Amino acid sequence: MNAHQPVNIVMIEDDEGHARLIEKNIRRAGISNRLRHFLDGTSALKFLLEDPEGPMRNGPALVLLDLNLPDMSGTDILARIKGDERLHRVPVVVLTTTDDKVEIQRCYDLGCNVYITKPVNYESFADAIRQLGLFLSVIQLPNGEGA
Amino acid sequence: MPVLQVRESRINRTGIAGLIASFVLLIVAFAFVISGFAASQRASELVIETYDVKDMVSEVSRDIERAEAARRGYMLDPAPFRLRVFNESSSRLDPSIDQVRYLTAESPGQRARADRLKRLVAEHVARMRETIEMVRSGRAEEARRQFDITDDGRQLIEIRKLADAIEETGESELTERLAEVRGTVGWTQWLLIGVGLALVVASLGTMILLRRFTSDLLASRARLHLLNTNLEAVVTERTADLKRANDEIQRFAYIVSHDLRSPLVNVMGFTAELETANAALAALISRLDEEQPGLVDEAARLAANEDIPESLGFIRSSSEKMDRLINAILALSRQGRRVLTPERLDMNALLGNIVTGSLATLADERGSRITVEDRLPDLHHDRLAVEQIFQNLLENATKYTRPGVAGEVVVSGRREGSRAIFEVADNGRGIPPEDHERVFELFRRSGAQDQQGEGIGLAHVRSLAYRLGGTISLRSAVNEGATFIVDLPTAYDTEGDRP
Repeated sequence: MNAHQPVNIVMIEDDEGHARLIEKNIRRAGISNRLRHFLDGTSALKFLLEDPEGPMRNGPALVLLDLNLPDMSGTDILARIKGDERLHRVPVVVLTTTDDKVEIQRCYDLGCNVYITKPVNYESFADAIRQLGLFLSVIQLPNGEGA
Repeated sequence: MPVLQVRESRINRTGIAGLIASFVLLIVAFAFVISGFAASQRASELVIETYDVKDMVSEVSRDIERAEAARRGYMLDPAPFRLRVFNESSSRLDPSIDQVRYLTAESPGQRARADRLKRLVAEHVARMRETIEMVRSGRAEEARRQFDITDDGRQLIEIRKLADAIEETGESELTERLAEVRGTVGWTQWLLIGVGLALVVASLGTMILLRRFTSDLLASRARLHLLNTNLEAVVTERTADLKRANDEIQRFAYIVSHDLRSPLVNVMGFTAELETANAALAALISRLDEEQPGLVDEAARLAANEDIPESLGFIRSSSEKMDRLINAILALSRQGRRVLTPERLDMNALLGNIVTGSLATLADERGSRITVEDRLPDLHHDRLAVEQIFQNLLENATKYTRPGVAGEVVVSGRREGSRAIFEVADNGRGIPPEDHERVFELFRRSGAQDQQGEGIGLAHVRSLAYRLGGTISLRSAVNEGATFIVDLPTAYDTEGDRP
C-alpha cells in the first residue's frame, strides 16, 4: 500500500441506513481510510470521472457499489468503471441485497472484483463488512492513473 | 343470429312458393296445349266430315245422272247392259244418301235438305223404274210418251240444285266452324303466351332468390372458415397475453420482495446496534448500582434491563419472520422464472436418491420409514422440479406424525393414458377436510403449530405441479394419515412455457 496516497473508499449506496451500517462496521474493523458516500449514480460517476479529488487524479480508490439505485442501475456504473481506460483497475465490491444468480454472473462478467450479498441477518452482515474491512487492510491496490 | 334466421325462413317460404307457382303454371300451360291440340283435331275432323258429305253428294248426283242416261238410252235401245248400268247406279243411291244424312246429323238445315233429297231421288228413281218396266214389257212407245209429258227434267234439275245447296251449305258451315275453332285456338295461344311469361317471371324470381340465398350461404361459410382459422390465432394470442400477465406477476413478486428486503436490513441492523448500545447502558447501570447505589432509579434500571431488550427482541423476531416470508416469495417467484429443461427421469431411481440421500438422516431422526413401490412410471420432465415436489411431500409426510406411532410412508404410482399419477401416503396426524384446500396456500398451515415451518412447502409444490402441467390434491382425515396425489403428464409440454 502506498503510504503517501491512502486509498479512498467510494461508497455508492442510496439507502442511508445501509450506508451508515456499512460505515460503522468498516470503522469497527479498524479501517480509517477516507470514505466518500454518494446517494445516486449520477453524482458518483461525476466524482469518479471528473472530481479533482476522485480516483482519476487522486490516487488509488476502492468502490463499494449497490445495484439498486434510484437513477441508474448499479451494473451500468460497473460497466462504466470497467469500460474506462483509466478506471478499470479500480477494484469494485458489489454490495447489494440481490442474490439472483443471473445478476451475480452478470456483475462478474462486467468485471466486478467481489460480490457480496447483504444478509438481512445483522450479525452476518456486520461480519461480512468487518471481514471486508480486514480484506481492505491487507490487499494491494494499483495506484491511480495520476500516480 | 335471429335476424338471419328470419331472413332464411322468408327466403325458404318465397322460394317454395315460387317453385309451386311455376309448377301450377306448367300444368295450366299443359292443359292449354292439350285443349288447343283437341281444337285443331276437331277442326280437321270437321274438314274431313264436310268433304265426305261433299263426296257423297256428288256421288249421288253422278249416279242419278248415270241412271238417267241409262234409262234414256234404254228407252231408245233397250240393250240389257243399259238396264244393268241403271240397276247398279240406282241401287247405290239409297245407301249414299243415307250416308249423307248420317254425316249431316249435327246440322238441322243440312239434315232437312238431305231428307228432301232422299225423297226426291226416291220419287225420281221410282218414275225411271216405271218407264223402264214399260219398255221391258214392250210398251216402249208409251214409255217415251210418258217421258215427254212428265217433267222429269225439271225434277232432275231440282235434285241437282239441292245437291249443290247441300255442298255449298256444307262448305259455308265448315268455314264458320273453322273460324270458331281458330278463335278458340287463338285465345288459347294468347293464354299460353301469358302463362309462359308468368312461368318465366316465377322461374326468374325463384332463381334470383335462390342465388341470393346461395350467395348468403357462401358468405357465411367463408366467414365461418375465417373464424375457424382465426380461432387458433386468437388462442395463441390469449396464451401469450396470459403468459405476459404471469410474467408480470412473477416480476412483481420478485421486485417487491427485493425492495422489501432493503428496509429490513436497516431494521435488523439498527436493532442490533440498539442491542449493542443497550448492553453498554445496562453495563453502565449495573456498575453505577455497584459503585453508587441509589443513583439509578428503578424506571431507568427496568428500561435498560427489561423493557428495551424485550422490545428489541420482538422487533428482531418479527423482522426475522418477515425475512423468511420474503425469502419464500422470492423463492417461489424464482422458481416460476426458472427455465425448465425436461429430461428422461427414472422415477424409482429419483425417489431412491431422495430417500437414501437427502432425506435419510431426517427420516431416521423422526423415526419414519419410507417405502417406494417398484415400477413407478417414468417421466420426461425437469429433474429439479420433480425432485422438489417429492422432497417436499416426503419431508411433510415424515414431519407430521402421530405421537406414539412410527411413521410409515408409502410412495406408489401408476400410469393412466398420457398421465402419471403418484401417491405419497403416510399414517400421520392427517388434515381435517376444511383445510384440504388451505394447506396449499402460501403461509397457511393446518393443525397444531408445533413444527417448524412457514407454510411454504405445499404452496411451492402446487405451483411446481401446475407449471409442469399437472395437479396436486389430497385425501385425508384427522388421525388417519394423509395421501397426496400428484397427477402429472408423462411428458412436459414445452408449449405454453417461456422459451
